[in-house]
Amino acid sequence: MAQQHIDLPQGTLDLLILKTLTLEPQHGWAISERVQQISQDVLRLQQGSLYPALHRLERRGWIKARWGTSENNRRAKYYELTASGRKQLEAEESAWRKLAAAVAQVLETA
Amino acid sequence: MLSDLVVRIRSLFRRASVEAEMNDELRFHIERQTEKLAAAGIPREEAARRAHLEFGGVEQVKEECRDARGTSLVESLLQDVRYALRILRKNPGFTAVSMLTLALGIGANTAMFSIVYAVLVRPLPYAHPQRLTMVWQKDDLGRPGNTSFATYTDWKTRNHSFEQLALFRSWQPVLSGRGDPQKLIGLRVSNNFFRTLGVRPELGRDLRPEEDQPSTSHVVLLSHGLWERQFGSDPAIAGKTITLNAASYLVAGVLPADFESLLRTDPAGGPPEIFGALGYDASLPWACRTCQHLQAIGRVRFGVSFAQAQAEMDAISAALWKEHPSEYSASGVIFTPLREHLLGPLSRMLYVLLGAVSFVLLIACVNLANLLLARAAHREREMAVRATLGAGRLRMVRQLIVENWLLATAGAAAGLLPAWWTPRVLSAIGAGGLPRLADVRLDWHVLLFAFLAALLTGLVSGIVPALRLSKLALHDSLRERVEGSSGAAHRRLRGLFVVTEIALSLTLLVGAGLLLRSLSRLLEVAPGFDPQNVLTLIISTSGPRYDQNAALRQFYTDVLQRAAALPGVKAVGMTSEVPLGGNMDQYGFHAEGKMNANPELDPSAERYCVSPGYRRAMRIPLLRGRDLAPSDAEGAPLALLINQATAREIWPGEDPLGKRVKLGGTDKPWWTVVGIVGDVHQGALDARPNMQFYVPHAQWPYPDSDMVLAIRTSGPAAGMISAIRQVIHSVDPNQPVSRIMTLQEYIGASVGSRRLVLILLNIFAGIAVSLAIVGIYGVASYTVAQRTHEIGIRMALGAQRHAVLGMLLGQGLALALAGIGIGIAASFELTRFLGSLLFGVTPTDPATFAVVSLLLAGAALAAFYLPARRAMRVDPLVALRYE
Repeated sequence: MAQQHIDLPQGTLDLLILKTLTLEPQHGWAISERVQQISQDVLRLQQGSLYPALHRLERRGWIKARWGTSENNRRAKYYELTASGRKQLEAEESAWRKLAAAVAQVLETA
Repeated sequence: MLSDLVVRIRSLFRRASVEAEMNDELRFHIERQTEKLAAAGIPREEAARRAHLEFGGVEQVKEECRDARGTSLVESLLQDVRYALRILRKNPGFTAVSMLTLALGIGANTAMFSIVYAVLVRPLPYAHPQRLTMVWQKDDLGRPGNTSFATYTDWKTRNHSFEQLALFRSWQPVLSGRGDPQKLIGLRVSNNFFRTLGVRPELGRDLRPEEDQPSTSHVVLLSHGLWERQFGSDPAIAGKTITLNAASYLVAGVLPADFESLLRTDPAGGPPEIFGALGYDASLPWACRTCQHLQAIGRVRFGVSFAQAQAEMDAISAALWKEHPSEYSASGVIFTPLREHLLGPLSRMLYVLLGAVSFVLLIACVNLANLLLARAAHREREMAVRATLGAGRLRMVRQLIVENWLLATAGAAAGLLPAWWTPRVLSAIGAGGLPRLADVRLDWHVLLFAFLAALLTGLVSGIVPALRLSKLALHDSLRERVEGSSGAAHRRLRGLFVVTEIALSLTLLVGAGLLLRSLSRLLEVAPGFDPQNVLTLIISTSGPRYDQNAALRQFYTDVLQRAAALPGVKAVGMTSEVPLGGNMDQYGFHAEGKMNANPELDPSAERYCVSPGYRRAMRIPLLRGRDLAPSDAEGAPLALLINQATAREIWPGEDPLGKRVKLGGTDKPWWTVVGIVGDVHQGALDARPNMQFYVPHAQWPYPDSDMVLAIRTSGPAAGMISAIRQVIHSVDPNQPVSRIMTLQEYIGASVGSRRLVLILLNIFAGIAVSLAIVGIYGVASYTVAQRTHEIGIRMALGAQRHAVLGMLLGQGLALALAGIGIGIAASFELTRFLGSLLFGVTPTDPATFAVVSLLLAGAALAAFYLPARRAMRVDPLVALRYE
């Protein structure tokens, strides 16, 4: 079956990155792999566009970066969620749920 | 937010490492992706290609990351700078003229700031100087005066306000035993003097209390400079003895290099370099309570205000007056905080100059704004393009201001040159005895000032043109209409600039003019003697031989006789004080039948101890009676001369000749007035001469050992120096000669600080007027050029050349008159601040105002006339096509 790709809706990339980082610190490549894995390859992420988002989140203080060693024994930059990042994630998650529910309702009733 | 700041700052300062980290991070991603694809069986090269493809444009991602990190402000500022540099390089003429303008404006200000900083702003070189104050005894006229040892001792033991109270007096010992004998400038100080100032010797030790006794006082401290110069920086100098005034003195220590004694008792000499223990002998006749020849300086206790200390000292003083009613003329003390004592008289002068020089910068700003405005016409299209491409107004204004900052910074850099020269120029002009002027230098304070001045200048001069230009660019839909309206608005603005420049220049010129007139008035003041061709020098006698009055008098008699015999010498005399030399001895003047019950309330007069030939050598006019003569010798009836002021003051409507007077105390012998001479300006040319009297050196009971020799020569005085030296050495080779100066030089030195202000203010006014004229000329040229078309039409329609010329000049004249009017009004307000710097002219001197106004009106008209005449020469047909 031919896979169907959906481009990421605007503003959701941050949410996905934060969500991905709740389990453990990850480097950029792993984050993009995981997003695709979990969404069963439905969400299509232009890999490069991940990085400006990571740098923006770091600047806002929601994630912080640290250099570590990767699974293949190389130097990689790991990002982890900060306390304020966790709060932000909760807020965004609930906002997203509300929005999704609202949109779904509109679609069903209209 | 903190993390935001950290990321931004990291990006700013660690740009290189941040970039490297970003590269590493992205490379890791691509390599990792390649690995994954290769693991799936795709050939390595193909895998790398696919990984890159999936990633997208690396450079673009990097750029977006940079944006995300918030480095855009700095980046775009750098862009602005690069763009500005390109623009400035493309317009070398504009760039050169504006830079020169700014270099003059900022340079003059930086130079002036370096003076003000070194003299006024820099802290005094003492510990906690704000707690130091001079303490003076108040006299019956409320003036501050020196104090006596007895009074000081009472002050010191009775007060609780001062941590330390110290004394000092002048001392000019002769150093011998090391080459030619040399007269040094020094102070005798109480043992706690340096503890009062908070200065510790860098070598050896301070003076000890037990050394402050008459029998043990042969102990000195040396200044760092003297130690280097005279003692070859001998590291073991402390504990050695040196010969001063033919006696041996112990060197206790050397003062630190950064200590300069700002306290001086001899205004015409340099800073004191040797400090001897005071060792005051209270048994000597001049140790009386009324013998006020000591200066007191105190350090108030921590937490005690000057007002509290003053209140206590006033109470002590009142008590002393009660205890010794006939030995004080008034009760009370006067405090002069040390800073005010040392720098007070200077600060007004320097602040006037600082104010004046800021006008120069303002004119430079106006000129630059003017240039920018003229150039704006050519840049409207450029700005419009930028606006269309999406540049916001703020961004465009910033771009223009950045351009200006670059200009101003470059101008400031060029302006450092004058600041660099300032110390040399000052020493060439002669500092006029101003303290700390030697410390003027180009240091980081001055650099910082220049930089800040550049930023401010760039902003002030650029903001109006930038705002106008950006506004025009954004509303640039109908070009024709906008150009028309901008033309009118620009013209109004330019008119305003011309008016401002003329007003500012007028104010400066008026100030410079008033000072110039003051100085010339001052130099017209007859000093009371004839200063032409008179050489003076100080001879100091010391050594046990001259403890005998007879030997001392004989030495001077011999010197005078032999000097008089030299060829080219017309007359010779000597005096204890040279007019305008900066010092004076005051003695109580108790005239028979005119004395107060409290002799301290009797007036005091300036004493000259002279040789019989002094009056003739100086050409001080003898008005009545006879001159002093060699027959007025020891044993003969005591004779003195008085000046006119004394005659008027003491014996109005009476004949003073033959009247008797006691000098310096009612227990002293009677002196008889034998002659009346003219008044001499002793302190300053701008001060009214005081009461003065002349006594013969041969009759004064304590003949002065330091005397000023005055030699009137037939030719230029300077040629006589070596011959005079030989004469003195032929009488006694061990007596040093110092301060060889002509009377003209004394007069010059007495107006030195005035001249310094005058020269600086004239330089500033000169720069201001040149800048203003250049600026006005620029405006005029531009205005005329813009109206060439109109002129062409008028002339084609038959208008007469002179009528059109008149129209253009009329416009210039109207602007000039407006500027002059405003400038005169401003000057009326501002010249008050010149205050005591003026002499013989009022701050609103009509002649000065008239001359300056005419001068500026003329200059403005000329600046308008040149371009107008050029426009007249243009063929009307060409003018009509001009656009």
